[in-house]
Amino acid sequence: MANKQLLSLARRSHKPPSSFTVVRSSSSAAEEFIKPPPPTAMIYDRIAHSLKSKLQKLEKPDIRFLKYGSPHPTQSSHTHILSLPETKITTLPNGLRVATESTSNSRTATVGLWIDAGSRFESDETNGTAHFLERMIFKGTEKRRSEEEIENMGGHLNGYTCREETAYYAKVMGNGVLKAVDILADMLQNSKLEEGCISRERDAILREVQAGEHTEEAVFDHLHSTAFQYSPLGRSIHGAVANIKTISTEHLHHYIHTHYTTPRMVLAASGAVKHDQIVEKANKLFTKLSSDSTTAKEPATFTGSEVRIINDYVPLAKFAIAFEATSSTDPDSIALMVMREMLGSWNKNAGGGKHMGSELAQRVSINGIAESMMAFSTNYKDTGLFGVYAVAKPDCLGDLSFAIMSAITKLAYRVSEDDVIRARNQLKSSLMLHTDGTSPVAEDIGRQLLTYGRRIPIAELFARIDAVDPSTIKRVANRYFYDRDIAISAIGPIKELPDYNWFRRRTYWNRY
Amino acid sequence: MSSFLQSFLDPKKSWLAAMHMKSLTKRLRKYGLRYDDLYDPYYDLDIKEALNRLPREIVDARNQRLKRAIDLSMKHEYLPENLQQMQTPFRSYLQEMLALVKKENAEREALPLYQRTIP
Repeated sequence: MANKQLLSLARRSHKPPSSFTVVRSSSSAAEEFIKPPPPTAMIYDRIAHSLKSKLQKLEKPDIRFLKYGSPHPTQSSHTHILSLPETKITTLPNGLRVATESTSNSRTATVGLWIDAGSRFESDETNGTAHFLERMIFKGTEKRRSEEEIENMGGHLNGYTCREETAYYAKVMGNGVLKAVDILADMLQNSKLEEGCISRERDAILREVQAGEHTEEAVFDHLHSTAFQYSPLGRSIHGAVANIKTISTEHLHHYIHTHYTTPRMVLAASGAVKHDQIVEKANKLFTKLSSDSTTAKEPATFTGSEVRIINDYVPLAKFAIAFEATSSTDPDSIALMVMREMLGSWNKNAGGGKHMGSELAQRVSINGIAESMMAFSTNYKDTGLFGVYAVAKPDCLGDLSFAIMSAITKLAYRVSEDDVIRARNQLKSSLMLHTDGTSPVAEDIGRQLLTYGRRIPIAELFARIDAVDPSTIKRVANRYFYDRDIAISAIGPIKELPDYNWFRRRTYWNRY
Repeated sequence: MSSFLQSFLDPKKSWLAAMHMKSLTKRLRKYGLRYDDLYDPYYDLDIKEALNRLPREIVDARNQRLKRAIDLSMKHEYLPENLQQMQTPFRSYLQEMLALVKKENAEREALPLYQRTIP
């Protein structure tokens, strides 16, 4: 009996005190004073309370985690990076413009000549001269071999020809800038274009033309040639094979004399350069070029057309669809740049995979209908092209064309604020990331001076980009895409690619 | 607009809403149920999903309450008076989770069809 009492006492002391028993004892005392247990009494109430507070925290996310990246695109202020070094521009008496941007902490420099001459300024008979001349100029002058001298300094000499501009530039150490200017001036003015070199170069160029049949460049060359048919922008940069075979020294000298004139040239330098020194050197050196500022330019006409080159023996089909866009000096070109970012680009190696920002890239990647896709927007002096280039396997061309055309036409109907903000941020960062280093900066200076006549300050550029909002996108898309002719160029196994009328019908929707 | 409705439905502000809450409290207390126990997972799949996400103890307590209420209703009895005084019919455990589930479903509907699942 005593054992039993002791055992029950021990058991009661080991039992955890539950408020149920406590309340029970108090309830037996006075019945009117029964109160419901507090929310911390029962374990399920305690858990429910903590869960409630956690769920409420979800409503107000901690802004510290969202400061540098958030799932919602936000407009942020960039004023702390907009004060970049100033570009100094001097125009010499003969018309040559010298522009430099010196960054004091760099020890290398890029100096180059950007010339407002390209394959656009040729005629049908002389097509190919610009490119040929650019190759020949590197071969040597009367006094020296330019490439050798630059490489002796440890620098690089390079050049390219576009449809509307040609460039020769050298990347050198800071102490070799003036020598590089010397070499460049010599190259342009005193090039000895001898016959032996010319014939060797001719063979090299012909081989290159043959090798580049199925590359991305070929698609764009065909696109230009069909979009701007019968007009100078349609001519390819290499030139027709027949022309390449007949180019001679007189053609090249004539081209230099008519098109490499000082008002159409910009000597741009960036990096460890001093503006006054370069101006002085340029004044002394660039004396033998003519100062004729006439730039004979035929207007470019856009023709809605297509060119298809079926070749079932290559594995992938490449095609490009382009609308006529606007010139680089038109304010709408900025809106077109933002729209290009909205359509985006994707390829199978993209790190983002199926979760990229643009809706077109997501559709293409999730359904697996393309190997790669790229939106492009190029601007020339009086016209431009905007479109999408895609590489795909032959069986999914129909779905891919549908996705591309619906994404482009959708820009005229439904544009969300989030997409526009994301595209703007991407455009700003890609512009800034691209101009890292002395060469891209020098190229940027040269190009901007040739196209705009001045270097647009970054603050102004960012302000123009920020001024693009959904209504601007819709207006610009209506102006350039809604029910407008397109140009298509396609090569490869393109039997399943829809015909021109199919594409042209999908430049507008009947739903609205 | 919504704040006008809230003031209409808020028991602290509207006499009618307070009367409704009092009568509900009386009826729920007789069976020992909470208001959130009345949400039926077979009626709305959102409720089922929300109950799936709640911790085990809360769902077990809910099920025990429901069993007790079913048992009382079968016997045509009510809960003993002292237990009735201790009931807290409007202590909620489901409302926030249900709101979260509904919000997620609404977000998911806004996506295009092929993005609604994890690819």
